[in-house]
Amino acid sequence: MLLLAGQMLPCSLAPAGDGLQRVRQRGKLIWGADQEGGGPFVFPSAEDPLKLQGFEVELAQVLAEALGVQPQFQQGQWDKLPDLLDRGDIDVVLNGYEWTADRARRYGATIPYYIYELQLLARTGDQTLQSWEDLAHPPDGIKKRVAVLGGSAANDYLERFYGDSVEIVSFDGVSDAMRAVELNVDGIDANLQDLPIWNFYEPGFPQLTAVGAPVGRGFYVALVRNDDQELLQALNQAILQALQDGRLRHILARYRMWNDMQMLRGLELAPQGDFVGMPEPGELGLSDSPEDEETYAAVRGAHVLWQRGGLLVRAAGMTVLLAVCAMPLAILVGLSMALLRRYGPWFLAAPATAYVELIRGTPLVLQLYVLFFLLPEIGMTVNAFWAAVAGLAINYSAYEAEIYRAGLQAIPRGQMEAALALGFSRSQALRRIIIPQATRLVIPPVTNDFIALFKDTAVCSVITVVELSKEYYIQARSTGAIVELGLLTAVLYLAMSYPLSLVAASLERRLIPEDRA
Amino acid sequence: MIALQNIVKRYGQTDVLKGVSFTVAKGEVCVLLGPSGGGKSTLLRTINGLETFSSGEIHVDDIRLPAEQQPGRDAALVRIRCRVGMVFQQFNLFPHKTVLQNVTEAPCQVLRLPYDMARQRAMALLERVGMGHKCDAYPGSLSGGQQQRVAIARALAMNPEAILFDEPTSALDPRMTAEVTSVMADLARDGQTMIVVTHGIGFARNIAHQVHILHAGMIAESGPPSQIFENPQTAVTREFLADVRQA
Repeated sequence: MLLLAGQMLPCSLAPAGDGLQRVRQRGKLIWGADQEGGGPFVFPSAEDPLKLQGFEVELAQVLAEALGVQPQFQQGQWDKLPDLLDRGDIDVVLNGYEWTADRARRYGATIPYYIYELQLLARTGDQTLQSWEDLAHPPDGIKKRVAVLGGSAANDYLERFYGDSVEIVSFDGVSDAMRAVELNVDGIDANLQDLPIWNFYEPGFPQLTAVGAPVGRGFYVALVRNDDQELLQALNQAILQALQDGRLRHILARYRMWNDMQMLRGLELAPQGDFVGMPEPGELGLSDSPEDEETYAAVRGAHVLWQRGGLLVRAAGMTVLLAVCAMPLAILVGLSMALLRRYGPWFLAAPATAYVELIRGTPLVLQLYVLFFLLPEIGMTVNAFWAAVAGLAINYSAYEAEIYRAGLQAIPRGQMEAALALGFSRSQALRRIIIPQATRLVIPPVTNDFIALFKDTAVCSVITVVELSKEYYIQARSTGAIVELGLLTAVLYLAMSYPLSLVAASLERRLIPEDRA
Repeated sequence: MIALQNIVKRYGQTDVLKGVSFTVAKGEVCVLLGPSGGGKSTLLRTINGLETFSSGEIHVDDIRLPAEQQPGRDAALVRIRCRVGMVFQQFNLFPHKTVLQNVTEAPCQVLRLPYDMARQRAMALLERVGMGHKCDAYPGSLSGGQQQRVAIARALAMNPEAILFDEPTSALDPRMTAEVTSVMADLARDGQTMIVVTHGIGFARNIAHQVHILHAGMIAESGPPSQIFENPQTAVTREFLADVRQA
């Protein structure tokens, strides 16, 4: 548990001054990415899942070196990485973010570190899909279903150019979309994928074939806060330097990402004013030999359980920690709200009612988002773990309040009257007579919610907390062991919730004395 | 020692109590009789504040309980409730506590008696009502008559100067009624001041010192049982007794 607590985000302060100065003072360049995105970007190594791998891991090393600091990885959900930048948790987003005019307006975008293209993938031997033309005018007359990563450049491209002739299906994980094509899940025929991702995963998907020429050229850029202009300049210099001395080429080649398109980068201007050119990595003593290549390596069967099971168990520890910290708070707040609503004066009962309705009527993910990303806007910074605990506690308190209200209502009036007649004060009567009886009544529904809470902790991954579900997605997507790790994850959830049911059942037996003579 | 002066209780337009006055002397067993809906229980419950009243006042010894929303009411109630116990029609024992805990709870929590002393007294009281052997049982496992006897012990544990009985035998069958009535008769013999709302004519005739017939929110007739039952003075009393005897 303590070990887990150590993993939590440090409480960060709102950034002051320029990022470069801060990074140097700290001695660390904190870069944000999502391991769940997988190869070739950032993923747990096939041999040693505790080690991060990917071309961006190596690029981060190069960039940090150029700034004279160490790189430090910070996990975040891919689409929330810019929010982490706003919060000041990270210095730079380095995770296959495409350059768009909109992003370049909101954030400082570096020069590209990669030029990507989009590749259409289909099932090997699918006669009805052999070219882009087949996509526009299917030979069998049936609209093709094409999987894309939701919100990605591929998604935009398809909508723009093939919006009328295909059905677009959104996926969360890049390898999920490829797997869906391979298995023809939900009638999915094709996947429009970033070419570097395809290059990396190709060995793992023998049933997929690239169809037609790559399209939709674009740029991967790193993002920094708009204010951090000095940091931006330093990163640009570092990228150019790596481009010029061949290290970038070496890194990209290792992940099978180097291609003719990248040659264009040689035309860019170096800080000295001349062309960057295209030196061979060999000049640095680096080689582009195929032996160095990193590709998708599936880890399957019993081995993956042995290799990654520990990580899932550890993540399950985080799930337990979140749930056991949040639930008592939820019960306490919920009980207070229920007492205010039932016994409080109107000026306390009304706000309590409003609280319950507000919290119950809005999604947990939004509440977490507000706590974590919006509170810093008004100068309050909460670290990820406690924001997660607070969010879960607040969300569940509304439900516990209603459960307790029902429990309190179920206690006959005579109990309060008997207590008052004996000289108890109202609060004494509540504490000694009413609440204990109500508590015993609400054990089954509260247990129900407690078990639900264990599973709802999964939502906390939006605010960078890696719990069991997130760890499962990360590991399953990097190994392809969706079934094996999925079963283990299910077993772990069950191992958490079932004992809880048993404890609740015995608590109920102990607290309900009617059956005993 | 207990005096009700001109108690009026209004529910909107309806007057439930229309100016009731009577006094109960120390050691007196006072029974409130009358047809259903006459306001007997409501009147009883005004004495320890489970019901409010609109005007009039109640005196318990030197404590003055004013009408609702008058200053000093809450403070008076705290004091009255420590001196006046109550026994309910539905017993209202605390189901999550044992018989013994039901009896020790208030002395420990309200009077701050040390547990050992409270326990000793509780056991003596439970023996007195014939429930000592059930001290570790939970109320849910007891018969109605047994529960009501425990409830009486619970009220006695506060050493009250008076006990209010709100239809204590109405939820019981005749055999259990007899159990409870005999305990109450025993208390009466010992000089316990009691105000009893009941439908049990027998109890009123044999044990009461003073009987008040309550009808439509007013006292129709007051007097010792000999007068009320042998020589009723008002038509209301005669009608009530005729109804009861017919039933």
